[in-house]
Amino acid sequence: MARSKFRRRIGVLILACLLIAAAVTAIWMVHLDGVVTREFQGRHWSVPARVYAAPLELYVGAPVSAGDLEEELHRLHYRVGDPASGPGVYRRKGNSFDLHARRVRFIDELRDPQQVSINADSNAVTALKSGDGADLPVFRLDPAVIGSVFPIHGEDRLVLAPADVPPLLSSGIKLIEDHRFDEHPGVDVRGMLRAVWANLRAGHVVQGGSTLTQQLVKNYFLSDEQTVGRKVTEALMALRLEAHFSKEEILVAYLNEVYLGQDGSRAIHGFGLGSEYYFAKPLDELDAGELATLIGLVKGPSYYDPRKHPDRARVRRNLVLQEFAGAHLIDAAAAERAASSPLGLRPPGGSYVPAYLDLVRRHLKRDYAEADLAAAGLAVYTSFDAHAQAAAERALASNLKRLDAASRIRGSHLEGAEIVAEPNSGDVVAVVGGREFGTDGFNRALDAKRPIGSLVKPAVYLTALESGRYNAATVIEDAPIELKLSDGSIWAPQNFEHEVYGPVPLARALAESMNLATVKLGLDLGLQKVSDTLQSLGLETAPALNPSMLLGTVEMTPLEVVQVYTALANGGFRARLRAVHAVLDEHGRALKSFKVQLEQAAPAADVYQLDRMLTLVVTHGTGRLAAARLPGIVVAGKTGTSSDTRDSWFAGFTGSYLAVAWVGYDDNRPTGLTGAAGALPVWVDTMAALKSASFQPVPPELVEDRWIGYLDGLETTPACSADAVQVSLPADAVVPKKPGCSGARAGAATQAAVSPTGTVSDKISTWFKSIVH
Amino acid sequence: MVQEHRSLSGAAAPIGAVLLLGAALLLGGCFGPAPRPAAPSDNPIPPSPSSPALPPPSSPAASTPPPEHAQPVPRENHLSPATRSLVTQAHSLAAHGDLDGASSTLDRALRIEPNNPLLWIELARLRLLESDAHLAEGCARKALVLASGDRDAQAQAGRALADALRAQQRNPEALEVERQPFMH
Repeated sequence: MARSKFRRRIGVLILACLLIAAAVTAIWMVHLDGVVTREFQGRHWSVPARVYAAPLELYVGAPVSAGDLEEELHRLHYRVGDPASGPGVYRRKGNSFDLHARRVRFIDELRDPQQVSINADSNAVTALKSGDGADLPVFRLDPAVIGSVFPIHGEDRLVLAPADVPPLLSSGIKLIEDHRFDEHPGVDVRGMLRAVWANLRAGHVVQGGSTLTQQLVKNYFLSDEQTVGRKVTEALMALRLEAHFSKEEILVAYLNEVYLGQDGSRAIHGFGLGSEYYFAKPLDELDAGELATLIGLVKGPSYYDPRKHPDRARVRRNLVLQEFAGAHLIDAAAAERAASSPLGLRPPGGSYVPAYLDLVRRHLKRDYAEADLAAAGLAVYTSFDAHAQAAAERALASNLKRLDAASRIRGSHLEGAEIVAEPNSGDVVAVVGGREFGTDGFNRALDAKRPIGSLVKPAVYLTALESGRYNAATVIEDAPIELKLSDGSIWAPQNFEHEVYGPVPLARALAESMNLATVKLGLDLGLQKVSDTLQSLGLETAPALNPSMLLGTVEMTPLEVVQVYTALANGGFRARLRAVHAVLDEHGRALKSFKVQLEQAAPAADVYQLDRMLTLVVTHGTGRLAAARLPGIVVAGKTGTSSDTRDSWFAGFTGSYLAVAWVGYDDNRPTGLTGAAGALPVWVDTMAALKSASFQPVPPELVEDRWIGYLDGLETTPACSADAVQVSLPADAVVPKKPGCSGARAGAATQAAVSPTGTVSDKISTWFKSIVH
Repeated sequence: MVQEHRSLSGAAAPIGAVLLLGAALLLGGCFGPAPRPAAPSDNPIPPSPSSPALPPPSSPAASTPPPEHAQPVPRENHLSPATRSLVTQAHSLAAHGDLDGASSTLDRALRIEPNNPLLWIELARLRLLESDAHLAEGCARKALVLASGDRDAQAQAGRALADALRAQQRNPEALEVERQPFMH
């Protein structure tokens, strides 16, 4: 009796336990079901913002040589072949190119693939036609991806839509990873048992029994731990996922989620990015062999890493190709061909440009949260120019190496920075933050705040011109000066070579960067006036009003110098510096655009007169190296050297670009380099590598060109004086004539005709060579 | 997520056909009739002769030069075929209410010919359509400086500048611009 009662109790207990277990399981299932539908329905891939360069514009006359064009096509990973075969292919015959351009999104348009023919000689584009032979007025190449804004240890991916998935990829991945994908309900019991059996026989794991759905669930919802509980959860969730979503939705999600490799701190997710990372081209341009390599990678992205272990990757690829042929996805001959071809890996994208991306990130941070940049799939279009960037990088690296070798300082490791901009629009096209330009690190272009030395002088001379009391021919005194400062100390500035030049015209004092003449001029104008000029040019914080400010004790970053000099290179208009043009959302809708912003910072006529003086810096003054190395191009600029040669600067512009270069030591030791010896060669080499037009500003009204003696400032003619230089003066300026010479007004017809070398006779140029600034 | 959305398409829609027509007319107005074959496009100034013409030495007349020397050489600005096609495209985008598209298309043109006053006039007109008179003013002033010596372009730039000033309630300054000789 007692025993049967006991049995009954046990039975009830078991039943109760079972009921409770069933209820818990049911509740759990409902919970999982909720998780699966809720999260998967509203799935949002974490897609970092992609940053794009400015596209190269092609038109008849565009300064793009055949060589430049081919270089750009390589940068964009266009392949040589028959353009009729599809997008991403070009053919070159001599100087003519036939190109099948890819489908690309620009800020203002989504352009479908199209064929174009381009002719270019050694200087410029000479003809541009569309595929049907019609003249094309203008055509832009793809905007290159220059990077993404992804978080530390972040996932990077390019999201594929169902239509973007090539048929061979979808059938291939199913064949290799889960050949019963189309039949099973999310869990493949037969497959699982087979795997268990195989693993038992081998004594270790040789087969995974997970379906694609389970792999997706694991990656998308669960942690990496290997427990029975997690396996059960995974299987249940896979079943629920299949109950709610179509096979195609699940497959595409899998293709976007799957991990395919590691690039430093950046995790490569999905086949879209995998294709770009390993083969540097879009997925729809991959051939069977390349697709097989990617599909083979899924089994073990680090073990089969085609860059680190090419042999393993090749064996794996060929195995996958064999399977493809066995399942008749491709024919045997094609599999054979693909198996005997190389892996075809290419370096990803262009080179890494952390300093420019840093500027982009700072620009965007004003408007966007870091989380959105890292995950919201934004497309950021910039003014980045790969050609200018490469020119600046090369110029900086090679010159610093040369200067280090020539330095008397043991173990010299000079640093530097350079920024290149388009002054009319304020577009920043290149940023180099140090000689290790390809790695993250201290971005000197944006963060190294250093005394600017004589780069400040144009502001002093502009103040003088604006006062109406001075012009380029006005003679001022370069004479010793001693000032008692507010703290009681005596300040006695010197010229660089400790010389005293006596009476000199304004133009020469600026060209040769005379300290004494500049201090005297600045004191006469008033420190406050000079400070006002600097601020209207774009200096954000007012400099301390010490007389030494006139010689550039004010500290600025290269970026700030570029901002101030845009107004000088742009006829008195300060152009707000711009790296980002527009931000588009993941669907290509414009979220924000950044427009050209100009403010008149100084009267155009005064800036024109100043700029003409700045061309003399290069032809006659401290920047003569530029005239010698850039023959035939009119350039304007200014050297700068801070006290004890701790900082070497050059800021200057052509008709096309404004660039600022800085050279110095990170620990602020003296370099022994003037602006002309350190930064100027960097600037010159950069400009020489870029195709630059002459600086030829439009002469404003009420000013005119006149010849004056460079040494005495008297009005003269080239026939009368060997040192005659052309300057721009107010039309009503009264300039004393050189005795025995007729005053000669050059007239506006000869505006900007100062050629870098042409106006000076041999005699005087020999004499100039002896000038020490 | 980013909350900001394109304001222009939203703003342009209700303004309707009148504005669109106005856009086409205004922008069209800045766009000369049949542009002639252009001078070198990125170099609107004719290159100067290598050696400037000089008065004979010690000629007494040269010491009091005639005032017309102070006037810049008259010249005409044109759009190159590339920028002309972009400006046409920008007009069409603006006429369809896509002011953002028009703006980035004009940006492209400016990258090709940054010193062409006609493009800065176009940009000033577009900024006025976007009701950004302050930015329009900057573009118009830049156009005016670049137009020196080209009466037509000066007058167009002057009109754009006066409109930008009026839109900022700076009527006296606008009147002053309109009184300039190049406006007549």
